[in-house]
Amino acid sequence: MMKKFTLFSLALKNLKRKPLRTSILVIAIGLLVSAFVFALSFVRRVDSSIKITSERLGADLLIVPTGSRGAAEDVLLENEVKSFYMDKGIVERVKKIKGVDELTYQTYLVTITGACCDVPESIVIAFNQDTDFIIKPWLNKKLGRRLQKGEAIVGSESAFNIRIGLTEVDSVLFGNMFKMVGVLDKTGTGLDNAIFIDDENIADIVRGGKANIKSGQISLIFAKIKKGHDPYKVAGEIEDSIIEVDAVARKDIGKNIINTLRDINRIFSITVILASILSVFLVWAVFSAIANERAKEIGIMRAIGAKEYHVVRLFFLEVLVIGSIGSIIGIISGTVLSLLMAKSFTILKNLAADLNTVERVFIATLSFLIGTVVCVAGALSPIQRIKKLEPLLAIKEE
Amino acid sequence: MSQIEIIDITKIYSIDSLNINAVDNVSLRVEKGEFLSIVGHSGSGKTTLISIIGGIIRPSSGKILFDGTDIFSFNDEKLSGYRSEKIGFMFQFSSLLPILTAKENVLLPCLFSPAKRSDNEKKAIEYLNMVGLSDKINAYSSHLSGGQQRRVAIARALMNDPEVILADEPTGDLDEKTEADIMKFFKIMNEERDITFIMVTHNTELARQTKRQLKMSNGSIKEL
Repeated sequence: MMKKFTLFSLALKNLKRKPLRTSILVIAIGLLVSAFVFALSFVRRVDSSIKITSERLGADLLIVPTGSRGAAEDVLLENEVKSFYMDKGIVERVKKIKGVDELTYQTYLVTITGACCDVPESIVIAFNQDTDFIIKPWLNKKLGRRLQKGEAIVGSESAFNIRIGLTEVDSVLFGNMFKMVGVLDKTGTGLDNAIFIDDENIADIVRGGKANIKSGQISLIFAKIKKGHDPYKVAGEIEDSIIEVDAVARKDIGKNIINTLRDINRIFSITVILASILSVFLVWAVFSAIANERAKEIGIMRAIGAKEYHVVRLFFLEVLVIGSIGSIIGIISGTVLSLLMAKSFTILKNLAADLNTVERVFIATLSFLIGTVVCVAGALSPIQRIKKLEPLLAIKEE
Repeated sequence: MSQIEIIDITKIYSIDSLNINAVDNVSLRVEKGEFLSIVGHSGSGKTTLISIIGGIIRPSSGKILFDGTDIFSFNDEKLSGYRSEKIGFMFQFSSLLPILTAKENVLLPCLFSPAKRSDNEKKAIEYLNMVGLSDKINAYSSHLSGGQQRRVAIARALMNDPEVILADEPTGDLDEKTEADIMKFFKIMNEERDITFIMVTHNTELARQTKRQLKMSNGSIKEL
């Protein structure tokens, strides 16, 4: 069957006449889009990880020992293995603060392979099943009952490290034997790397002396606020009344990381803007040359009936083909780069949540638009100039 | 009403603050089906005049009426439509797009024509056969001789069934046989299809073969 001759096939033939020049433009757009995809993936991944964690924790306030806010965020957001303690009596004092509704607390213990435990270094979280509203939804879904003393359930990421499969295994934690009874579903938070035990086990662990914790200590308190109360005000009141703690409102969890991220974001934005300007100039320079080269041909086409619209459409088809191919190459390479480089950035290495499909599609779509818009913007002025020339003048311009 | 009325057309080119009257107050009537030639030396204004008639350059003053309508009162859309539907243009230089085959060059005006016909391919091949290029349908212009390129340009000019063919030195640089073949083809088209031909040439022998001859000199025109 004969291939139909259309304006699009003419555009493709035009692009093929100087393959090196077309390839350079495609590569330039590809590099720009690749940088954009990489930068946006980085920023969005950190941002969404923080959002997911603060939403899934289900608490309005996080109360930690004074000066331990960073450590707590490291555990919750970045899966770092850290411990910090405060007196358990603080729970009762927090309860008395106006506006505080439900409370639960957790105790973080760090395992050391060989010294206390037979699992790789990870964090063990002891939680109170009577008051808990953080772990319980995940526990109920998976186990359907309370954890017994001497039982442990592990986060989805820890399961791989401890090699828990379908069968139950026993592990030694702080000198005590624990039956690993299951694996929690992925939460997308730092809790995925933890091992969970009931708070009742703490007394035995303290007695065994293999954990760096004293009797009557906890790590942090999660609090829910009564309806109509401002979390920031309640947090302020807690900090004023109890000098031994810092209180962080849910929206402020990860604020330090977000502030750091803002600077990185700025650097990425400036880089992408500069690269975009450079690309616009490159496209402008190339299409100015193309317009001059093809002035006679455009003049001939105009003389045999092409409207300004046809000239614009022909050039835009070429621009869009370059922009589209460059953008697709950039999206693929940028995504691959962001996946490969993820392990090279400390901030990303420990983040629990990865980008979901919707976010990846959003980034790809936005990047595609950036790539094509940059191409169109660069070509706009040469196209405007050539389409306005009278046919005979265009023919003679060569 | 004449098919084409050229009324007081003047075209002034400004080159380095120097004004050159390429066409100087030319008036002319062309009837439908006429075959006229315009002779004159290089720089006499012949090409500028048929370019103005073809609507590919605007005059400094004056009007071109086609079937009674001033073509330069049209916007770009309409003027392009006039060039596409009413006029077939043949340039004095090689005007084929080098990236296209002979057939694609002939099909080029169809891309810009509002009338979308399904038989364009067939028609392009027919025209190429008519101008004796049946074996060069898929050849690129670089593989065609000067005469073959002119013949492709003729086929292209006929593609949208124009009412007028404007031919600027259609046989320039061609051998006598090719020149004779082209003129024969023009006459057939003129007589059988009633297409108006306005041919610009510096070759007076060639001009004598047309029904009406005009001469341009220093931008002015007179009947011979």
